[in-house]
Amino acid sequence: MNYTKQIQEIAAKLFAEGKIDVFVGYRMNGFDENQVPVLVNTADDVSKLVFTDKSVFNLVNYLKNEHTRRKRVGIVVKGCDSRSLNLMLTESQVKRENLYVIGIACEGVTDDSGQKMQNCVDCMVPDAVVFDEMLGTPAPPQNVPVSYKMNADIASLAAMPLTGRAAYFEEVFENCIRCNACRHSCPLCYCAKCCIDQETATLYNGANTTSAAFHALMTWSLHLAGRCVDCRNCEKACPSHLPLHLLHKQNESVIYENFQEHLAGVIPGDRGAFYKYSMKDPDDFIM
Amino acid sequence: MEAEVKDQLVSIEKPGLIAPPNWEPVIMGILCNWCSYAGSDLTGTSRIQYPPNIRIIRVPCSSRVDPWFLIKSLQTTADGVLVSGCHPGDCHYISGNYYARRRFLVTKKLLNFVGFHENRIQFSWVSAAEGPKFAKVVNKVTEDIKKLGPLHLYKKENFEKK
Repeated sequence: MNYTKQIQEIAAKLFAEGKIDVFVGYRMNGFDENQVPVLVNTADDVSKLVFTDKSVFNLVNYLKNEHTRRKRVGIVVKGCDSRSLNLMLTESQVKRENLYVIGIACEGVTDDSGQKMQNCVDCMVPDAVVFDEMLGTPAPPQNVPVSYKMNADIASLAAMPLTGRAAYFEEVFENCIRCNACRHSCPLCYCAKCCIDQETATLYNGANTTSAAFHALMTWSLHLAGRCVDCRNCEKACPSHLPLHLLHKQNESVIYENFQEHLAGVIPGDRGAFYKYSMKDPDDFIM
Repeated sequence: MEAEVKDQLVSIEKPGLIAPPNWEPVIMGILCNWCSYAGSDLTGTSRIQYPPNIRIIRVPCSSRVDPWFLIKSLQTTADGVLVSGCHPGDCHYISGNYYARRRFLVTKKLLNFVGFHENRIQFSWVSAAEGPKFAKVVNKVTEDIKKLGPLHLYKKENFEKK
């Protein structure tokens, strides 16, 4: 999967035609083969852009900062990124007419060790669902909702006894340093004022404790329930390498199994599982 | 000696921690204004007894309950939470409890996933006419949580029982 040349050509063309003010893409980080996001403002810098298997980050996150807001933006999205873009469009965070979207028919990206990333192995929607231009060959259209692949980590943890799970997650939350990188790296965490921060002003006092981390991460994951697209930007950003995907995948699997919902962001205009209801929702856990 | 150890109540999530003698659980009851709160009122006016372990908070609707409330309650004094609202179809705001139902299931499963016993987070539908049912629900929740022992997970430091 190497679309470097095509993306450079498209970006150069867009700048020449005056269709965009800024292009959001990837460039080499300069000291190893990994890549970092880059905002290209002029046609001269287009040669910086690359796209290979190492293009791991979700660039939709960069649509919410001051360099791209209220500007015409060109952007590269993979399957998962395009789902988060779909949700941001639905939630009126970006305007579709300001965007020129290059969709990728993604074959999966690799992590530092060269292995295919776990979320790419389990990926259910590899092709971009929002695009002006598609690169690569998209898979033949599937029936929606696509069949759900249960995450192996969730299944093995759910099989553990309660005390084992409690001990495992206590260690996870203990290692959190409350840097909030997960929140800042999430394209769907765009609230100007986060309820977690409001809490730090009083009860939790910004403390870096296990209980404060538990509170922050649980609240965060529940506010993303039904919206998380499993791009794992949070996990890539986490300096403590916490398995944050466990919380999101757990919510996703519960939502998928019990409410027969589509995956988040696959359908344009769909706001996620918590914004609608069905008479058939399970009621057996309520007295 | 062994019998004594057996009689001691341990926290189910942390079997190493033993409850103090005469320990009584604290249950946070979050009730919807239009049905369950009126139902609990009826329980009182009908002179039906229910355990005093429950601390009741009134909310406008069960869909007002952010999962955050449950997390915060469990992190402070509560050993368990009971959320109660109108029966499906009876919501004062037409569909609030349908939205709430989805959130409750996801919250309950997630809290269970990270190590809380599933009986610590309970839900019920109680209408304004169901005074006896409310007493029954509180009895059952209190009994359930008494079996589980005190909650020692992720307590905010000031609330950790010594």
